[in-house]
Amino acid sequence: MAEIIGGVGTSHVPSIGIAIDKGLVDTPDWKPFFDGYIPGKQWMADKKPDVAVVIFNDHGNTFFLDRVPTFAVGVAESYSPVDEGWGPRAVPDFEGAVDLSWHLVDQLVENHFDPMVCREIEVDHGLQVPMELFFGRPENWPVKVVPIWVNTIQYPIPTPQRCWEMGKLLRKAIESFPGDERVVIMGTGGLSHQLQGSRAGFINREADQAWLDGIANDYEKYRDMSREEYVEQFGSEGAELIMWLVMRAAMDDKVALKHKHYYAPASMTGAGMVVLENA
Amino acid sequence: MPDPSQIPETPLFDRERSKQGYRMNKMAMSLGKPENRAAFKADEEAFLDSYGLNAEEKTAVMARDWHRMVALGGNLFFILKIAAIDPAVMTEIGAAQAQMEHADFLKQRLGKE
Repeated sequence: MAEIIGGVGTSHVPSIGIAIDKGLVDTPDWKPFFDGYIPGKQWMADKKPDVAVVIFNDHGNTFFLDRVPTFAVGVAESYSPVDEGWGPRAVPDFEGAVDLSWHLVDQLVENHFDPMVCREIEVDHGLQVPMELFFGRPENWPVKVVPIWVNTIQYPIPTPQRCWEMGKLLRKAIESFPGDERVVIMGTGGLSHQLQGSRAGFINREADQAWLDGIANDYEKYRDMSREEYVEQFGSEGAELIMWLVMRAAMDDKVALKHKHYYAPASMTGAGMVVLENA
Repeated sequence: MPDPSQIPETPLFDRERSKQGYRMNKMAMSLGKPENRAAFKADEEAFLDSYGLNAEEKTAVMARDWHRMVALGGNLFFILKIAAIDPAVMTEIGAAQAQMEHADFLKQRLGKE
């Protein structure tokens, strides 16, 4: 059966991708941010997963407001980078883990969790940037992907508790897949940021640090928080952190926090990552 | 459903905003295609008219008034595509939201010297 080899939580700020594109990785503004990901990249290289299940939100690039799936699962053979207004980025296409995707869809629906199922769809920086942070910019990605979209744009966004339930189900589904795939789960988004309204530029370094420390083994308070509390603590767009809960819930009750990194601001965002293993 | 009014200075993109800003956001979404970007550049007002924007919305877009666009139901993730055509950096757009000078915004909100 397929095996979950670890869970990663990470920011997916678009300016990270732009910094890579423009060769700014070693500039004073960006070097401390990227350096902090080196242990995470090394961990990924050592663990050699076959598949990355990436939980992220689209940012008005793939889905418009004409149809807003609360959850969506990709079952495509390949996912190209979407044009976000500047033309598609020079990032390789992502090969889909088609059979695992369909198995997850089967299991989710069987267990009364009903995502939109996407057969032909592009992916924005929400998936691209986490992959680049942990796998660099290879000619071909060393893993196949299962993209899972969560609506964090238009209210009502799903509750943190529902994200948690999805993670629990995903684990059962992955571990019942007949294969020997090594699967890493990536929960993405955040950390604190607000891009809209006069509170724009809100960053909560203290809450971010507490999150990075607590998501491993003190997760209950985050699982139980309301959406409104996420917005208050992490800013309106920082509420994306609910997607880390999907990853966290797919791991053991107790986990080992292998790596952690925080840097702020990346553009207008508190940014960072954790790497978790089942203890 | 959180009560947006309880969180200060934070326009959550809820039912009312989504309904109000639909045309503007649809116009902005279309800028993900190069041919629409070309049409926008060629005759911006005609392009906005083709999406049915009203006078207030057109004024906000044509003035690149980010604060006003959001006030009218624009969602930043859509309207950011306008900043891809007529380049503006994210922190400048943020400063406009906060109605602050860019340098003050960088220092006071983001802690940058």
